[in-house]
Amino acid sequence: MAAAASPDAVRSDHQRPQGDARANAVVADAVPHVRLAGVGKSWQRKLDTFVALDNIDLCIGRSEFVSIVGPSGCGKSTLLMVIAGLIASTHGSVYVDGAPVERPLTDIGIVFQRDLLFEWRTVLDNVLLQAEVRGLDKAASRTKACDLLAKAGLAGFESRYPHELSGGMRQRVAICRALLHECRLLLLDEPFGALDALTRDQMNLDLQRIWSEERQTAILVTHSIEEAVLLSDRVVVMGARPGRIVHSVAIDLPRPRTVQVREGAAFGHYYAEIRGAIEHA
Amino acid sequence: MPDTTAGTVWMRRWVERSVGLRDAFLVFVVGCALLEVGARAGLYPPYVLPAPSAIALRLVETAGLMWGHMLTTLVEIVGGFFLAVVVGVLLAAAIVFIPFVERGFYPWLVVLQVIPKVALGPLLIIWLGFGYLPKILIAFLVAFFPIMIDTMVGMKSVERDAVFLMRSMGASQRSTFFLLRLPHALPHVFGSLKVAVTLATVGAIVGEFIGADEGLGYVLIFANGSMDTTLMFAALIWISAVALVLYMVVGAIERACLSWHVSQRSGAGAA
Repeated sequence: MAAAASPDAVRSDHQRPQGDARANAVVADAVPHVRLAGVGKSWQRKLDTFVALDNIDLCIGRSEFVSIVGPSGCGKSTLLMVIAGLIASTHGSVYVDGAPVERPLTDIGIVFQRDLLFEWRTVLDNVLLQAEVRGLDKAASRTKACDLLAKAGLAGFESRYPHELSGGMRQRVAICRALLHECRLLLLDEPFGALDALTRDQMNLDLQRIWSEERQTAILVTHSIEEAVLLSDRVVVMGARPGRIVHSVAIDLPRPRTVQVREGAAFGHYYAEIRGAIEHA
Repeated sequence: MPDTTAGTVWMRRWVERSVGLRDAFLVFVVGCALLEVGARAGLYPPYVLPAPSAIALRLVETAGLMWGHMLTTLVEIVGGFFLAVVVGVLLAAAIVFIPFVERGFYPWLVVLQVIPKVALGPLLIIWLGFGYLPKILIAFLVAFFPIMIDTMVGMKSVERDAVFLMRSMGASQRSTFFLLRLPHALPHVFGSLKVAVTLATVGAIVGEFIGADEGLGYVLIFANGSMDTTLMFAALIWISAVALVLYMVVGAIERACLSWHVSQRSGAGAA
């Protein structure tokens, strides 16, 4: 069984002096793509201070697929929004390619639990929203959007409206929208949480396939340990109150992974280890 | 959807609607018949409740005259309504996006709303005379508040994550407004427009009550002065017809603009 490393041990792979970050950018994994240093987030409430995130250190290598799991309310989603620059941290810093994140990152693809499709736009126009906001070339974006939709099994649905689609199909459209521009970082905030188990399995496989083509750095927040193990290179376990990292497991399973991987012994070990970490958090 | 199916669906809907209307029509006919009998039997004097046949006759006789008054009232209603839409939506956007406007103006708009607009009527007549203007203004004052409030609600009720999504695409405030907030608010806006158009009708008629020499409200007051109940009923029918038609026009525009929205899907056809 692949050794479960402590967070520090895993991080040591990526921790290099910041100076050579850009010089070595070509060498995969040489430099952390995303680095969190002592990130904390707290809210002032009427009587006390609510600590959502406490002293989070995390390094994520280029092209690495990392999942963050943990109990409800442990701040997983908040952490993702802090990385995206959409919520400001109160302590510490987030670095992407060595540069501190001070405003919303715009060269990322982001998918939320709710698909957030605009009901007044067709499927194709929803995907093209990305191009419209960014002012990308129309014809090229259109071609790429149709291509992505076809890959997601949505060919022929381009001119349908979101309300004509099932939950799984809607979320596929949202993923296509996130992938339309060439992004290096994919942030997924429980994208499959609202889907039934069978649809979810299929979506996991599809996401793996799509991701393996471009190998963006991906950070997936999820409730599902199975999903995390199936998709990730590394699973980070968070504990609640305050939200903090309690464990980190490198997943050493060959890719591409199939649903059958879940029946293997190695998968079972990973599952048990993560499960244990969550329970003892 | 292929044309043939669309056509059949449309036809089936029309038939369904006609069936619904048939029952409504039946109630109308029976009601009229009862009133007719009551009037002819002398159960109550005709100046209290004229026979439906007398009202119908009067409607035909005065059609040309009423048409002119109706046009006057229509101009007042539509003028006030349009003003209310423009001002209501712009104010709502300003309140949502400019904190100073919310702090400085919103309380006064609420105060303005609680003043009975009818009570402002005499003042407006002094300021603006007896022409169209005071009626348009009263119609506007009565109609703009619901539009403003509903538009505000629509623009504010955008999900946080949807705004996050736009920001992560690098969207400016401006494009977030036009691509997300405004279309998101549209169903709310149209809901309020239906309320506002009937309110604008009330405003225009009340404005004519206070001081006018033309318009359906004027006819109503005039008929009241001469105890001409039949003419009053005729004027009332005209006013209701105008309000109904305007309501249906707004409904039609709504259906055309919001075909994507839940409220407009098959079976939810309100109007």
